[in-house]
Amino acid sequence: MKIIRPKGPEIFDIELEKDLLAKNRGLAKENRKRFDRSKILAIDVMGSIGSGKTSLIKAILKKLGMGQKAAVIAGDLTTTIDAERIEAEGARVIQVNTGKECHLDAHLIRKAIDRMKLDGVEVLFIENVGNLICPGEFPLGAHQRLVVTSATEGPYTVIKHPYIFREADVIVLNKVDMAKPMKVNLFQLEKDARQVNPQASFIKTNALSGKGIPEVIEALGLKR
Amino acid sequence: MHEFSISDEIVRNVLAAVKENKGTKVLSVQLEIGELALLNVEQVTFWIHELFKGSVAEGAKVKVRTIKARIQCESCGYRGGINLDRRDPFRHAVPYSCPKCHSFQIAIAKGRECHLKKIQALR
Repeated sequence: MKIIRPKGPEIFDIELEKDLLAKNRGLAKENRKRFDRSKILAIDVMGSIGSGKTSLIKAILKKLGMGQKAAVIAGDLTTTIDAERIEAEGARVIQVNTGKECHLDAHLIRKAIDRMKLDGVEVLFIENVGNLICPGEFPLGAHQRLVVTSATEGPYTVIKHPYIFREADVIVLNKVDMAKPMKVNLFQLEKDARQVNPQASFIKTNALSGKGIPEVIEALGLKR
Repeated sequence: MHEFSISDEIVRNVLAAVKENKGTKVLSVQLEIGELALLNVEQVTFWIHELFKGSVAEGAKVKVRTIKARIQCESCGYRGGINLDRRDPFRHAVPYSCPKCHSFQIAIAKGRECHLKKIQALR
């Protein structure tokens, strides 16, 4: 018997089951292995624009006085301002420009460590793009995650962004000297932080004067 | 906020899979996004449609299934879902606490996914 079938395109399914965030997690694990092999302590520094991430890194570097044994990956959209500021402290610095992207990801970090000379480096700071949302979703492979917020950001930063503070190992409340003029209640911010993330260390700093910096160094396990 | 980059990644994966399977037109794509993933479904769908334009996937349907969150409380041992009351304007303020004992010491077992599940295409 002759069967006449309609001519035309055939519909088919492609089953993928692809986890799009898994790729970053996998790369982050590889980065971590590389840090461990080279005995480098890697710290992901996150926080809003202008919260004092660069100033805090500079203050820590100054206090540690490690020179070229410290390295920094400075993430920013388009400028090299942060890298230049950090370079003044004597650390090795590489700038990663994300262009339009709102966060660093594990792939960009892998590219950066491929390009950097890391022999002899004991501690690596990774300064994320200023943002309290996206970086939380993209682990980079760092051992410690530090989130900086500051008094000038107002009283609701922590409670509005619980996700990123939950990811933190160390929470730094910077610019404490500005609390009074900003009418910000530091105790409430501390209470919010401790509620959202009871395990994290919570430290008040003024990165420009150096207040609280020794405590941050200790919380990061960097005491020398 | 990273909806664009995730959408871009989804679109690249779709087009590569379709090409590999010698598809000529994409009819639909199926995604699964966890309710705790930091992704706005409306924005993701918008960007996928935009990025599909001019390709074999232009006009394809984008179906998104939400994966409910499941947590395990380390304080009281609760296992199950969380309350995300859509009418509560502050729902994002404390979505990571245990609904039973309100502890923040919880582990998220499910709800942070972003999966590209299935593509339907024409050969």
